[in-house]
Amino acid sequence: MQQKTITVVIDQNGDSSMDLEGFAGEGCDKVLKDFQGDDHAKVQRKKAAFYSPAVDSRNQHLKSGQ
Amino acid sequence: MSAYGEFTTVMSEERYLVEGLTAMGYRVEVHADGAALVGYHGDERPETAHVIIRRAQLDSASNDIGFVRGKDGRYQAILSEYDRSIGYGNQWLGKVHQHYKESQTLAVAKSKGYIFRGKEVIQTANGPQIRLQFVAR
Repeated sequence: MQQKTITVVIDQNGDSSMDLEGFAGEGCDKVLKDFQGDDHAKVQRKKAAFYSPAVDSRNQHLKSGQ
Repeated sequence: MSAYGEFTTVMSEERYLVEGLTAMGYRVEVHADGAALVGYHGDERPETAHVIIRRAQLDSASNDIGFVRGKDGRYQAILSEYDRSIGYGNQWLGKVHQHYKESQTLAVAKSKGYIFRGKEVIQTANGPQIRLQFVAR
């Protein structure tokens, strides 16, 4: 299962950007909200992985016979 | 990557403002009901603020720098023209916001159970950027 990473970059003006990797579905929105706090959103977009179904690693192991 | 967002930092929590200013090396005073700022002659000014950096920590001709909490809950800086002209202008305020956001991000991550993986300071032509990385459980 892909690791879920959050990268926050804060620029010299204090504005921030956030990259989420390995998340799928509504989990993204929760993480964005957690870190956003009272900040104003300027840009927010979902990437292709957002629309992919979450992968259950236990299922994968069963299917591959491990 | 599954999502991307850009945000404008809004300073609305005293704790992170105080932590940010402290990280920048200032000793700050916190006044729940506000306290008067002092001018460079030692005179009490009409402006009051909730978070104050006293002028003794600034330039010899500086006034106090204050942050006042507005009715909307946001902190606004009170800076004299002189202090703006000697290095406490927009660039300095940007740095205050940067430290505020770093404190807020680290605190939120801890409280929500995200695992801190590291901090990196990236030098750019416009100034240093802070990169924080976390992992979700």
